[in-house]
Amino acid sequence: MTTISGSGAPIHPEISALLPWYVNGRIGERERRRVDAHLTECAHCREELAREQWVYRNMNAETPLEYMPAVSLNRLQARLDGIDAANSERSPEGDAAVAAAEKPRRRSMPWQGLMAASVAVMAVALSLLAADRWMQYRARAAMSAAAPVYYTVTTAVPRAPDESIRAVFSQAITLSELQGILDEAQLRIVSGPTEAGVYSLAANSRRPVSSSLALLRSHAQVRFAESTAVPATPARTTP
Amino acid sequence: MAKNSAKEHDTELLVAVAAGSRRALEELYLGYHRRLARFLSRITPRYENVEEIINDTFMIVWQSAKDFRYASQVSTWIIGIAYRTALKSLRRQKNHAAARSLDELPEQTVDPMSETEVQDWLTHGLNQLPMEQRLTLELAYHMGHSLEEIAAITECPVGTVKARMFHAREKLRVYLPNLGGSASAWTASSG
Repeated sequence: MTTISGSGAPIHPEISALLPWYVNGRIGERERRRVDAHLTECAHCREELAREQWVYRNMNAETPLEYMPAVSLNRLQARLDGIDAANSERSPEGDAAVAAAEKPRRRSMPWQGLMAASVAVMAVALSLLAADRWMQYRARAAMSAAAPVYYTVTTAVPRAPDESIRAVFSQAITLSELQGILDEAQLRIVSGPTEAGVYSLAANSRRPVSSSLALLRSHAQVRFAESTAVPATPARTTP
Repeated sequence: MAKNSAKEHDTELLVAVAAGSRRALEELYLGYHRRLARFLSRITPRYENVEEIINDTFMIVWQSAKDFRYASQVSTWIIGIAYRTALKSLRRQKNHAAARSLDELPEQTVDPMSETEVQDWLTHGLNQLPMEQRLTLELAYHMGHSLEEIAAITECPVGTVKARMFHAREKLRVYLPNLGGSASAWTASSG
């Protein structure tokens, strides 16, 4: 039996470097044959392969987390609607400007019409300038009005001062079940649910947050729970 | 075969998105949401952040679809956008949660042979890796990408991806328990 050395470097580094792609099935045919041939005669690399397969299998195990794409898709749609609305307010004038700019290039106008056309173009240009100023003002107003519709990853989300836990419950949970879980964990709702179904919870007692969190997570009706305290960690560079 | 048709379908959807189809964007979004959410949860544990990164990603997809030249797969392109969006947002938040050293880890006391502990153990081990290394493993093992695809997604040379993979595996090797010291033990304890 070959012993795995916890900190031992691979004794066949070239084969070892191919193993992740051998395990996930994305290795080239020639390299796969090379690894196959090597594995028949190298117990150390077979051991290493077994470990990689173990990591691979466990990384692909089902996650208990449930995601809610419909809710976040609605928020994306709202963002796109806001952009569309701002663009559509601009477009009629933009089209008119393009048309006005293109027409003189397409036609050769007689001299007698040129003077009248110049006056007309100047009039259109002046009105477009005024319209553009007006639309810029409207667009800025629309964007500032639309801002609260969504948050981005860089937007600071308002948070209740005493919030200690955020949680998402099963959609099938009843009010009494929810209250029962909160009572048991000695928590209360301070805000929520958000559009994503997230509740902000605060402690009702001096019970440690970690204890309430563990209790929440033990309930099947709790889909997701996390402490809002962010642990400070030192920075580290990576290769 | 099924993989190829999925790729073709993605391409058709992106072409439609480039032509302004919101319905195609919606289908693409729903098709990628779970994959991206799982991937991004390795970067940030906050579900709200995961959702926002996905939405920011698809805003970019919506705005840039017409510029995509189909030199790479649609999935590689979308996951690459998500990867860069996530790193950018994390750098802004200065929240590199994975930046702890393995040397600082306390000794583990859980039983690695217990079925219920295996997942936690591995998750904990992955969380100790620097983010780029952790995501390289995730892209290869969970999302099934090739070396070249990961290089494209992360916009890194192939050599950098190899180095990240090497260091990730070495650190996991140190961190993960010595399950009896034999290949049969690794096989027996698989989840």
